[in-house]
Amino acid sequence: MADAATTEVAPGDAAEAALAFLGEMSPDLRGGAILDAGGAVLAASGDLERWREDAAVLFTVADRAAERPAEQLHVATEQGEVFALRHAGFAAVVVTERFALASLMFFDMRSTLRDLATACRRVENPPLAGEIGPSTPGEG
Amino acid sequence: MPPKPHRVLLDRVSGYADEAAAYMRRRRVSRRPFARLYYPNGCSADHADDSTVGAELFVAAGRLIEVAGKRQKP
Repeated sequence: MADAATTEVAPGDAAEAALAFLGEMSPDLRGGAILDAGGAVLAASGDLERWREDAAVLFTVADRAAERPAEQLHVATEQGEVFALRHAGFAAVVVTERFALASLMFFDMRSTLRDLATACRRVENPPLAGEIGPSTPGEG
Repeated sequence: MPPKPHRVLLDRVSGYADEAAAYMRRRRVSRRPFARLYYPNGCSADHADDSTVGAELFVAAGRLIEVAGKRQKP
């Protein structure tokens, strides 16, 4: 039976795994970053500090555009496309090749952040030993 | 004499592939840069690149594209 201690994953490690999984799911992906609600980078491909700064600028500009904050944004340029999404207390920013399918990209990003949030909740509230795995009659 | 069944299938697949290629060509030609924001209530807003917000979004996106770099060829 798995021990609760062995199932714990630090948010940074979970975010790294989530970003790697996102890269596997999206062949057009060039790079990306996952940030927490405060704007700190949990995982990124490349320079973490630059991702933090540039993602913060992007979200600041997006939030200034209207009275309410934007949930997701898509900027398509000649050089590539940028997708950003806030979900479940996390934010993901990715850069893809041109003509990436926006709906699929947002779907993958959303599911990745949802899984990440679930993983982090599990860390915060590790299940009790008796709750892990199917209970066996007569055990204990 | 009727064509062999696999020829029919090949022609059909080639036809679809040709149409898809033409669609992608048209899409590349017609698609212009854009910046689009989506809100929780399902609304979205486009920002032209000559607007203030649009220009700032394009600058911020350009910096992120620079950070991400080019994709490594497999």
